[in-house]
Amino acid sequence: MSIQNINVALIGNPNVGKTSVFNMLTGLNQQVGNYPGITVEKKIGFCKLPHNIKANILDLPGTYSLNASSMDESVVIELLLNKNDKLYPDVAVVVTDVENLKRNLLIYTQIKDLEIPTILVINMADRMETKGITLNIPYLEEKLKTKIALVSSRKSRGIEELKNLIVSYKTIPNEPCLNSTVIDKDYFEKLQHAFPNQLLYKLWLVITQDVNFSNLDRNEIRSTFTKSHSELKRLQQKETIKRYQFINDVLKEGLKVDASMAKDIRAKLDRVLTHKIWGYFIFFAILFIIFQSIFSWSTIPMDFIDSTFASLSSWVAEELPSGILTDLLSQGIIPGIGGVIIFIPQIAFLFLFISILEESGYMSRVVFLMDKIMRKFGLSGKSVVPLISGTACAIPAIMATRNIENWKERLITILVTPFTTCSARLPVYAIIISLVIPNERVFGVLNMQGLSLMLLYLLGFGTAILSAYILNKILKLDSKTYFVVEMPSYKLPLFKNVGINVVEKTKAFIVGAGKIILAISIILWFLASYGPGKDFNEAEAIVKERTIQKPLNEVEFENAVASQKLESSYIGIMGKAIEPAISPLGYDWKIGIAIISSFAAREVFVGTLATIYSVGNSDNEATIKSKMQEEVNPVTGEKIFNFATGISLLLFYAFAMQCASTLAITKKETNSWKWPAMQLVFMSALAYFVALLAYQLLK
Amino acid sequence: MVQEIIAFTILGLAVAFLVKKFFWKSKKKKDCGGGDCGCS
Repeated sequence: MSIQNINVALIGNPNVGKTSVFNMLTGLNQQVGNYPGITVEKKIGFCKLPHNIKANILDLPGTYSLNASSMDESVVIELLLNKNDKLYPDVAVVVTDVENLKRNLLIYTQIKDLEIPTILVINMADRMETKGITLNIPYLEEKLKTKIALVSSRKSRGIEELKNLIVSYKTIPNEPCLNSTVIDKDYFEKLQHAFPNQLLYKLWLVITQDVNFSNLDRNEIRSTFTKSHSELKRLQQKETIKRYQFINDVLKEGLKVDASMAKDIRAKLDRVLTHKIWGYFIFFAILFIIFQSIFSWSTIPMDFIDSTFASLSSWVAEELPSGILTDLLSQGIIPGIGGVIIFIPQIAFLFLFISILEESGYMSRVVFLMDKIMRKFGLSGKSVVPLISGTACAIPAIMATRNIENWKERLITILVTPFTTCSARLPVYAIIISLVIPNERVFGVLNMQGLSLMLLYLLGFGTAILSAYILNKILKLDSKTYFVVEMPSYKLPLFKNVGINVVEKTKAFIVGAGKIILAISIILWFLASYGPGKDFNEAEAIVKERTIQKPLNEVEFENAVASQKLESSYIGIMGKAIEPAISPLGYDWKIGIAIISSFAAREVFVGTLATIYSVGNSDNEATIKSKMQEEVNPVTGEKIFNFATGISLLLFYAFAMQCASTLAITKKETNSWKWPAMQLVFMSALAYFVALLAYQLLK
Repeated sequence: MVQEIIAFTILGLAVAFLVKKFFWKSKKKKDCGGGDCGCS
């Protein structure tokens, strides 16, 4: 007996447990990718069903209706209207939350009107008793013209019934819930008359939505049946009202809620967590705990990864035959891979916390709480999540902007997120602060070095908000602005969902940004290891000649040769070339090299300086520090790392876009080079002028 | 000699990867962020 393949689309509002149902149906048989041309995540899983049927389960992005306002929602409409799409569903499974059935049924009625066989899943059925909810399933099935599966993803119940309903999807009636002509009788009758072979509701979506449709000449339909924008909006509102009237009528009989039976603590919790004072206090307390945990918990695995890669480099250098490949492996590729892997703990911990906050239902309260403040600066409440995530790394933070429906708000969030102080800035800040800020206490309590670090974090966040305000005024993008946020019930997070989310996000960072960082590390190594002319090729002879009066020991000699080679290497020449441009900021060519080499990733700055100052190992911070402290400008005779240069460097790294991976992810998310180019120019120019101003005022 | 060949091949692959990643014009659809972006 041959295997029959069917496509099943999981559709529903955000936060109804759609992904939990997807995980229960597919287990680990999942593939994650992107829809062609856009960066909306596409998740497909596979599920074996009775009667030799194999189902391709497509987890579509959460959407409130078929009126597209975000990329996520456009994806849903495009798929449901394109019968030629290889993923076009044989059956749609609309997942709803038993506590929000009225709102969740809106999209159900719309999909039914597209005459796709549709199964209704009522999820979180285990909460019915505690909420005092009773459902009349036969009545609901009759009125909604479907089959219903009562599912509890938390208790793993109802999934076998759902599988059986999917198998028998052909028996589900295809009748629509709403006769579209009730929206505007004359208009719709004319429309049907002009296109007798097309579904009326599909034609209506063609007229009202900006999405791709196959087999339909949208221009022809639009030119013949066009209406003014306000008239179309009015009709869309009328459609929504008609649908809710239908839903209300059905639920009046099909759903009973006995409030006296409910044991609801949700309302009490909401009153505190969204309170105009306590809400913010609790939120910042949670943030404080999260970041303390991220940094303290990450230290042990990060140190382990760091030392493992250092040992591996040293083992490769000692065990393999000496030569260029061995050097490339030990000094370029292995540290390059290590430079990516080392961020896994922080990213994994960050997404662990974010997933827990999302799964528990708290994140929606934060979004609601922050929306009012953020909106004044051209951002959305949903921008809070990326701006917080940016403290660990801008890459997953920019990826986290995908759930912002409004394109302008999403773009502004993407553009300003790199100002948030990421973990890669920490090594740079730590060494420069230790050099130029005295280790003293203010008022006997506050450590000045710690205070400086905190100020740099606040500066990053403040600049992000201010830049958003300016961009909001400058960018002339037409975008619909309204704010809908789901307030799901509070619940204990499902660890399977949290785990899958953490693995997916971490994998996306390693595979996506990791390849770019590795490739750049390889190129940087070549540029630092090769150079033109005799200054590079005869480095040993030059050092010998220079130190003839004051002979060096073996280690000092090797360090001096390495320094000479670096100075004459291609990257050294670049450093010298930019010296005139950076000397007004208080930097010499060596700092110039560190700035160039750290273009790919900021944390490279300390390692490069370590090499330049002939220390050879950036882990030995005391040695780097003492060498940096001793470094003197040969022209002025003054110390290079003085207070003015230090502050200038701190401000430069606070504002500069020194992260190729962030540019790459911005390009990926905006599908255009225009925005990362603008980000690069704006941030670099700002960094340059602020650093220049600081040095000239303080020197 | 063998080490040099392999090392420079890796360099070539790294450069090719970055060129392909950042400069190769893909035939993907343009931005579908919102509004009348003309992607339909």
